[in-house]
Amino acid sequence: MDHILTILVFFPAFAGLLGFVVDKGSARAYGIAVATIELFIALWLWMSFDGSNGGMQFVEMLPLVPDFGISYYLGVDGISLFIVIMAALMTLVGMISMSIEKDVKNMIISLLFLEMTMVGVFVALDAIVFYLFWELSLVPMLYIIGAWGGPRRVYAAVKFFLYTFLGSLIMLVGMLFLAYLYHDVTGTWSFAITDWYALVLPMEYQVWLFIAFFMGFAIKVPMFPFHTWLPYAHGQAPTIGSVILAAVLLKMGTYGFVRFSLPIFPDASVMMITPIAILSLIMVVYTAMVAYAQKDIKQVIAYSSVSHMGIIMLGVFAMNAEGISGSIFLMLSHGIVSGALFMLVGVIYDRLHTKELDNFGGLAAVMPKYATIFGIMLMASVGLPLTIGFVGEFLVLLGFYKVSPMMTIVAGLTIIIGAIYMLSIYKRTFFGPITHDENKKLKDLNSKEIVSLVPLVMIVIWLGIYPKPVLEPIDNSVKALVSFMEKKAQTQEAKDIIVSTNAGEDK
Amino acid sequence: MESLVYVALFAPLVGSLFAALFGMSPKNLITGIATSALLFISWVASVLLLIHVVGNGAVSTTLMDWIGAGDLLIQFGFQVDAVTAVMMVVVTTVSTVVHVYSIGYMDHDKGFNRFFSYLSAFVFSMLVLVMSDNFAGLFIGWEGVGVCSWLLIGFWYHKEDVSTDINPSISPSWAANEAFIMNRIADLGMLIGIFLIYWNTGSLTYDTFFASIPTMDAQLLVAIAVALFIGAMGKSAQFPLHTWLADAMEGPTPVSALIHAATMVTAGVYLVIRANPLYSHEAVEGVSLFIAYLGTFVAMFAATMALVNRDLKRIIAYSTLSQLGYMFAAAGLGAYWVALFHLAAHAFFKALLFLGAGNVMHAMHDELDIFKMGGLSKVMKWTYIYMGLASLALAGIFPLAGFYSKDTILEVAINEDTYLIWFALWVTAGLTAFYSFRQVFLTFSGNERYKELGHRPHEMPNYVLIAMAPLAILAVIFGFVFMDSFQAFTSTVLPAYEMSHATHEIAWVFIILTTLIALSGIFYAYKKYGAGLIRDEKVESSFVYKLLSNQYYIPKFYDSMFTKPYREISDMLWKRVDLKIVDAIVDAIAKFIYFSGDKSRAMQTGNLSHYLNWMAAGVLLVAVIVSLSAVLG
Amino acid sequence: MIELSHYLVVSGILFSIGVVGVLRRKNLLMLFFATEIMLNAANIAFAAVSSYYGDLSGQMFAFFIIAVAASEVAVGLGLLIVLYKKQGTLDLDDLAVMKG
Repeated sequence: MDHILTILVFFPAFAGLLGFVVDKGSARAYGIAVATIELFIALWLWMSFDGSNGGMQFVEMLPLVPDFGISYYLGVDGISLFIVIMAALMTLVGMISMSIEKDVKNMIISLLFLEMTMVGVFVALDAIVFYLFWELSLVPMLYIIGAWGGPRRVYAAVKFFLYTFLGSLIMLVGMLFLAYLYHDVTGTWSFAITDWYALVLPMEYQVWLFIAFFMGFAIKVPMFPFHTWLPYAHGQAPTIGSVILAAVLLKMGTYGFVRFSLPIFPDASVMMITPIAILSLIMVVYTAMVAYAQKDIKQVIAYSSVSHMGIIMLGVFAMNAEGISGSIFLMLSHGIVSGALFMLVGVIYDRLHTKELDNFGGLAAVMPKYATIFGIMLMASVGLPLTIGFVGEFLVLLGFYKVSPMMTIVAGLTIIIGAIYMLSIYKRTFFGPITHDENKKLKDLNSKEIVSLVPLVMIVIWLGIYPKPVLEPIDNSVKALVSFMEKKAQTQEAKDIIVSTNAGEDK
Repeated sequence: MESLVYVALFAPLVGSLFAALFGMSPKNLITGIATSALLFISWVASVLLLIHVVGNGAVSTTLMDWIGAGDLLIQFGFQVDAVTAVMMVVVTTVSTVVHVYSIGYMDHDKGFNRFFSYLSAFVFSMLVLVMSDNFAGLFIGWEGVGVCSWLLIGFWYHKEDVSTDINPSISPSWAANEAFIMNRIADLGMLIGIFLIYWNTGSLTYDTFFASIPTMDAQLLVAIAVALFIGAMGKSAQFPLHTWLADAMEGPTPVSALIHAATMVTAGVYLVIRANPLYSHEAVEGVSLFIAYLGTFVAMFAATMALVNRDLKRIIAYSTLSQLGYMFAAAGLGAYWVALFHLAAHAFFKALLFLGAGNVMHAMHDELDIFKMGGLSKVMKWTYIYMGLASLALAGIFPLAGFYSKDTILEVAINEDTYLIWFALWVTAGLTAFYSFRQVFLTFSGNERYKELGHRPHEMPNYVLIAMAPLAILAVIFGFVFMDSFQAFTSTVLPAYEMSHATHEIAWVFIILTTLIALSGIFYAYKKYGAGLIRDEKVESSFVYKLLSNQYYIPKFYDSMFTKPYREISDMLWKRVDLKIVDAIVDAIAKFIYFSGDKSRAMQTGNLSHYLNWMAAGVLLVAVIVSLSAVLG
Repeated sequence: MIELSHYLVVSGILFSIGVVGVLRRKNLLMLFFATEIMLNAANIAFAAVSSYYGDLSGQMFAFFIIAVAASEVAVGLGLLIVLYKKQGTLDLDDLAVMKG
């Protein structure tokens, strides 16, 4: 299987094209079948992946525009492997739990195209290919929000599209300039990321390029103050849209920092630790407080996503293997947990057609299974040990402590304020007497919802108790990345900081 | 021996998962019996381990790797040394009794199966906490017991929130959240301590850390000691993080007995005892002394609140708080084995006291106000005996368990020349005797005030009473039978604390003094309440009485200083900042672009002549710019 | 003696007349005439400068412009006739189909 990555990327899109001829009634089953096969291909990739090798594997290379060094160049390492698997998993789970009746066929086809772009972004090793998938991912999402969303769906969809598009255009300029610089130095054109890694850039170029890439990634993450598109997008998107958006699309931003910013601009990244950490801390604390003030349960989860992404950003800029590995793991865990939480919100929305917390209360008595799964996801979200959420959060905070103890204490507030808003919504939703009569006859989870949620619960607990099979390949790739950065850094301060944040003991 | 470790550890987990299978079905007696049986197995394994440790020293074993990233490697490692063995036996003993007791107590509850699942899960977490050989494992148990405590305090989640005037703890679910969040505040301190340890020793195991203490600099040790103690303050409900414990009484009474008296709340004390190489290091002397003084303060502070309270369970909760203060005082003064001894003794008699209170509640249909009871000794003879014994032990009367443990703490205070601590603890001993017997007399003797309310109290079934017997026996004999062997046994791990010669000589004076004040406390309680309740309006309306019955207004203060402002600031950040500033700026940029397009659309008149005018103006403008730049440039 | 500057002045004056015509006239046909005047002003300048430098390129350009202007008039007038037949007027103020 030399072309497993190509198959992985284009199989959903190809199946999506075939999907146009599938009968409307069986579209959903067709979609689930395709997504299952895709997940198995991804798992097969994991099986044949060599976890002890930190470099790129399953590399495929085919020149597209040789004159400008653009090629179809794919590869996967420990950092991207699990995000790809998670993307496949969340697409499948989202499809199973989907409750949409209107235009199911269109939805399935959109999702399959979206899956192609998501997988493509994470396995692309050529900047142009990466950029193509990056931008293409907006289109199905725009359609999903705009066609199946709530009352203000058009506003939300356009805001989502334009905002993230603006950022990516700035990133594109950065990419073109970087390629130009590469040409200037070497005399040949190349858009291959691995070629760019070898490029040693002067500091002032690094800073400007870092900022250009930052705009693209930061809006996607979304970092404070660029986060305001997210609550609207989540608020209006259908459940499946929110699940994919929170679980996978946001991770593109943080993944971009790891794949591009750190290795290509090591000096600028070190220089930017403090400003980015400050923005991240604002994300962590400020959005968690805003989440607490929300009256709509979905908005709480949306803002909590921003807050958790802040922790991920901190981990990326901890510059040590503990922090970066932790943040990659946290991307996975946040993907699964926030995806599951959005699905859980969808469950109650399907039944009551409202997301207002005031309309809930006492649901634990009528929906015990729902309350149990929600409770487990809540505990994973607040980072309880032996759930998936703890491992990443612990590693990130541990790693960043080496960079700045004071900032870590502020970031550590997340374990307190995270508990405050999550426990508060849990209490308002599930505890107390049932105050609304229509809630007394609510049905507990149906088999479709259980089939989609229980695997996630199992993963949450499995990777909480035994994260090693996932964490080890991630860690190997991250160690390779960190030692590469250390070698590449030019300024002495940058070198010192990278070395000192990685040093085990202070002796 | 390793298999015994795993049997002891995992039996409760198996029980919990088994009961969880029935979690959503109606009451099934088998869950209660199975979990109790599994706990009994765990108890047997613990006792065997204790015997093994006595003979052959500590056992340690590693299950598997947990987290490995960078240079960090955390394993699921367990060690059973003297301290752990004692804790395991205490935990499993009390838990087994509480499990059997709960079969009777929770008999009519809808959530019977769910209750046993949570309760066993708690025991598992607690065992992880005490058996782990590293700080990360400790933290797993630490958070695990927190979650189980959350689940169990909020067990009757369906109850409504009411104002604090009716119920000071608002509702079970509110109290559960309060406990969880307050513990999390302390956990942050603990996490920071863990980070400090990792970055300075490269490992999180106790052994590595303790081995590298001599080479670390003083400031760092102080920082670690403070951070870990902040963690301990949360779990052990030390001031100012104490309010959750009294509110936690919203949970079912067996839960209060097991979690909020005997085991979980002692986790903080356990941590300080476990980290004794750190806390006995000379560089952190100041921190240790602070712990001792804080413990003393809490002992007295909590005892005063218990003096006037009318709620059966809250009185015992404050008493727990007060006794935790004693333990911290002993640990802070360096007498770790004394702290551990008091921890064990306290676990037995306090659990007994709580279970007795449970019997009373069961008889009185969940009535908790002791002013509405009285004369119950006639119908509940055994409960009366149990609670009386437990109260005598709590008051420190010879020869019950509390006498030995508490008296040794007072002796330690003398030995360390910290007379202030001694005096405060001595006064507290008198207060303890008074409030314990105030409660006993108001509940069991005097006029039968419950008759006005139409209650028909009845004694618990026999098996429940028999289940409580081990605790009663231990509360009586634990001191004089086990004290010496306990000291010898724990000295394999803990520093042997020896009284100086001078202290030995005059010890009998202080024993008499302590016994005297305890007896006078009991006597005063008997004089005041032995014959029944006589309310004194003047006392009840005095400032001090109000201050005490309102818990020094601390919950109100927290509410107005933290809870409300937090909500208001959050609201303000959302409505004023996020919507009106951050998002508004984004929208303003979009609007500006839209607006400029809308306005410049007017240029597009469709009239060719206008276009040509615009074009000429544009050409002129470009010409001017070009020529200007040529002239200036 | 008539020097280069004289030619250029004449050309400038002609061009200005053309510009004013383009900007002020409302009749499409007159606009055409005005553009023709501007083109011819350019032709005069080209021819004068060409003869001044003794370089034939300028005169070639002038011829080229004449050819382009002729074809433009041919096509343009045709369009105008069609437009007049359709709209019944060549007044610019009445022809605002492209109003945004």
